[in-house]
Amino acid sequence: MWRGFIHFLKKDFRLMLSGKFFILAFASLILYSCYINFIYVNMDQEIYPVYLYDPQGRQAAVSKYMIPLDDREDFEKACADQYSVGIDLSSGKPELYMLASGIDTIDNYRIIWAEAVLNGTAEGHADVIGTNSKEMKSRREITAEFLFFELSAVGFLGLASMLFKEKQMGVIRVHGILPASRAMFILSKLFLFLLSDLIFAALLTVWNLGLWHGIAVLPAVSVQTGIVSLMMALTGFLCAVRLPDFKQFSLFYLVIAVFVTTPVFLAGQTGVSWGWIVYHPMYHLFAAMKGAYFSEPMPGLPYYAACFGAIILLFLLAHRAFIREMAKEG
Amino acid sequence: MKGLKYQLKNIRRDKMCILTFLLPVLAGIALNMLSGVSFRSISETSFGIVQDNLSDETAAWLQSNGCVTQYETRGELEEAVNNPSTQMIGVLQADDGIRTFLSGDELQVNKVIADTLPRIYEDRAAEYAYDKTIAPVSDENEGLKSLLVVITLVTAMFMGCTFNAMNIIGEKEDGVALIHRILPMTAQSYMIQKIMIGFIGSAASTVITAFICVRTDFLQTLPLLGIITLSAYIAALMGLFIGRFSEGLMTGIACIKVIMILFIAPPVFFYLAVPKDSIMFGLSYVLPSGATFYGLMDLLNGYADKMWFPFLILFLHAVFWSIAYRFLRRWRK
Repeated sequence: MWRGFIHFLKKDFRLMLSGKFFILAFASLILYSCYINFIYVNMDQEIYPVYLYDPQGRQAAVSKYMIPLDDREDFEKACADQYSVGIDLSSGKPELYMLASGIDTIDNYRIIWAEAVLNGTAEGHADVIGTNSKEMKSRREITAEFLFFELSAVGFLGLASMLFKEKQMGVIRVHGILPASRAMFILSKLFLFLLSDLIFAALLTVWNLGLWHGIAVLPAVSVQTGIVSLMMALTGFLCAVRLPDFKQFSLFYLVIAVFVTTPVFLAGQTGVSWGWIVYHPMYHLFAAMKGAYFSEPMPGLPYYAACFGAIILLFLLAHRAFIREMAKEG
Repeated sequence: MKGLKYQLKNIRRDKMCILTFLLPVLAGIALNMLSGVSFRSISETSFGIVQDNLSDETAAWLQSNGCVTQYETRGELEEAVNNPSTQMIGVLQADDGIRTFLSGDELQVNKVIADTLPRIYEDRAAEYAYDKTIAPVSDENEGLKSLLVVITLVTAMFMGCTFNAMNIIGEKEDGVALIHRILPMTAQSYMIQKIMIGFIGSAASTVITAFICVRTDFLQTLPLLGIITLSAYIAALMGLFIGRFSEGLMTGIACIKVIMILFIAPPVFFYLAVPKDSIMFGLSYVLPSGATFYGLMDLLNGYADKMWFPFLILFLHAVFWSIAYRFLRRWRK
């Protein structure tokens, strides 16, 4: 029995190699890591710049938040972004100049901010109660998102494309007369995809969080990766067996990518609160993944019980669909 | 012409293409229905307070400067401040003033606001009698919304490559490509037909989306149509490239995914984060979608007179990619 399983593994591994699956995964790894390291961590939003137009040099002390400009035209241009505030000292009396942003509270704050900067009262210090710096938070957040996306959308596609290829080659038909267990056929695929997803998760995490931070969160992340990977691979298997061709499958995939993962990202990323999102099963998976990256307490037993139940159910469904498909193929 | 009619019929049966066509249109409708208000609350400064901790006057002052959320206990407030997806600043009463705290992972703008807020609050009584010139919002400023509209339009344009790429790959898989070789049809007319499919699909989808979510006057319609025409043509050329290089549907879909990420993410990033006169920004014109994106952004912000530059760049791209495809065909023969 075990020999059969190892042969299955070998066959699936070769199929993955020939389908350029590993190259695709590796290319995504590099693409995501470059985006995180060169672009995402550098994104920030500066405080409202205060431009000072002071041709006579009346303002003696210039605050660090203030940018002096010598030309009135430059001054107006700099303030045209609806974000900056200008202070014109040319007439002797300070005159605030700005373009409204369309949001009253922001405009209000821009005015008092400019006044505080001019009067030198923009100082002080707030208490910090968190443990993450801005950079570390960005790294954890975006790595969790990319991993989740890769697992839910791309992993799903990977297994399905392999199965379609086998379908085309007639493997399912041949399998019907082989003295090998049906479950083995599914298990070997699941095992390989789980393994490759775990390796992908480990590389992505260590590469982008740094060695120590990465290793610290890796156990929790691996558990969540395993859950999402098994679920998505089984769903991909189920869809690939039931849907007649790859084109229809990719349609289904597009629907999953757009309508299933987008609301989850929006809710997880921007902090908008939608009451109904708790009924979205993917939201809980995403929240657990994000929690793992931020070393938050793990979700309780009901979550794991539900995940385990879902995986067993999906496996049984996949098994049944597979036997049916074999019967159909003769 | 007859061939084109047949090709379009073929596309109509392809659900993938229909969905590609409808997706931007649906996104456009959704954008239109979301009022600007829901986007605005995201960009407001967000303060968190504990119930019955601040005086009414302080709470009202905070409300005039941002969006205030009330929590029942200090613990709940700290949890909300620490939540990595919020930018919330915690505000508490301290002696006769206020005290602020944050989690330390916020954007610089919120960090500075939290640091300086107590002192600014102390000074609130000092009414500075400065003259204020506040230019009102020039147009109906929609900030984030117009950015999303432009992203949708650019996606619609360059998704056009899906139509002919899928068509070509489908023909390859069904063996129709082999039949084409013995049909009395020149390679030239085959290519023109395939370009037309991508062009028509892309342009039609974009025009419908633009009709739904862009409000322009008549004078701006012409430059808009110009940009759509050139971009749709370039998207169709991209589709030809994808169709040529991908052997199977799987590789084709992967290629489209990579091209869409490459075409949409960098222009958005460069537009938001890189100064307009830097060399880096100039480099972003290497991507045709860069020119389309900046051109549309200028158009929506009412600078139609600056549009000649993106036009020129798009035109150069169109010429360059046409020549590149010609060379590729000769080289691969």
